[in-house]
Amino acid sequence: MRVLVAEDETLIRLDVCGMLEAAGHTVCAEARDGAEAVELARSLEPDLAVLDVKMPHLDGIEAARRILEERPVPIVIVSAFSERVLVERAAEAGVFGYLAKPFREDRLLPAIATARARFEELVAVRSEVESLAEALAVRKAIERAKGILMEKEGLTEAQAFARLRSASQVSGRPMRVLAEAVIATFSTALA
Amino acid sequence: MRDDLEAAGRDGPLRVLVAEDETIVRLDLRGLLERHGLQVCGEARDGEEAVRLARELDPGVALLDLRMPVLDGIEAARRMTAERPLPIVMLTAYSDRSYVEKAIDAGVFTYLVKPFRESDVVPALRTAVVRHGELLRARRAIGAKPVRPVVIGLRSPSGADWPPLRVGRKDDGSLEVDVL
Repeated sequence: MRVLVAEDETLIRLDVCGMLEAAGHTVCAEARDGAEAVELARSLEPDLAVLDVKMPHLDGIEAARRILEERPVPIVIVSAFSERVLVERAAEAGVFGYLAKPFREDRLLPAIATARARFEELVAVRSEVESLAEALAVRKAIERAKGILMEKEGLTEAQAFARLRSASQVSGRPMRVLAEAVIATFSTALA
Repeated sequence: MRDDLEAAGRDGPLRVLVAEDETIVRLDLRGLLERHGLQVCGEARDGEEAVRLARELDPGVALLDLRMPVLDGIEAARRMTAERPLPIVMLTAYSDRSYVEKAIDAGVFTYLVKPFRESDVVPALRTAVVRHGELLRARRAIGAKPVRPVVIGLRSPSGADWPPLRVGRKDDGSLEVDVL
């Protein structure tokens, strides 16, 4: 995995990077403060981010929130502090793990493995939601275009559908695009 | 997302099911959780009891030890999540990759290594509840779509016909399979 590590204390940062690399991960970016973490997450698109909470300029939780606003990525917060208000802020920001310092690889590695896995599950469910929404939108557009063709051209349903399909094959454009074109043409004619 | 924390606790604190066979550790966990304002709604001494208590008590989150008699924590997690979506945090003395992977397959949200620390356990439970709530909402969004169930005919390798399966979706978005 390509991991972004944000930690202002150099020794701890080197230590965390060492643990990750020894486990076969690549540290693709090292940030010394939250603002730098946001910038590097944007430019390098890591697979996962490990963020310290107390950092200069921007704390790790606010950095997590900004990173997630731009692009979904699993984030594990590491912190010497675990007060309820911090944990709730982190959870609301969207992090998948919260690990107390100090830690060794036996704690860090399971934390990032579970974070990544549950993140991927969420992404998969969300993309299924989107593809279903898309499929429904396509069906709706085609139904409407079919209705218009039947009415305007005096076609049967099967003929209307066949016409849309052959137009799609001839033009090499998806049926949805053609259906929307039919709908748009008809709406303009009405107006 | 704050409502997930509260929803998981219904009208009160987050309700935690603790499964741990060692009495001292279990008592220790109870004390720790209660100090942090969480409620231990059930204590199980083995995996089978954990599955039963999860069914009866409907906790907001489960904290399971990996090595337990009768049924280990991973198998218990698998059975619990098969019955009902539930965030699970695994607690174990083993950080071996193979255990972590098995736990991930079983749907475990976070994997904590013993000796456990107060500063890890509580944040892990709270984070798992919120992320799990997010996952459930996404699944419900699928469940809300009118997906027509499909009937699948199967043929076994020996050529015999198996009964057809009807595959649909439950309200929470998970798959529902009936043998016709």
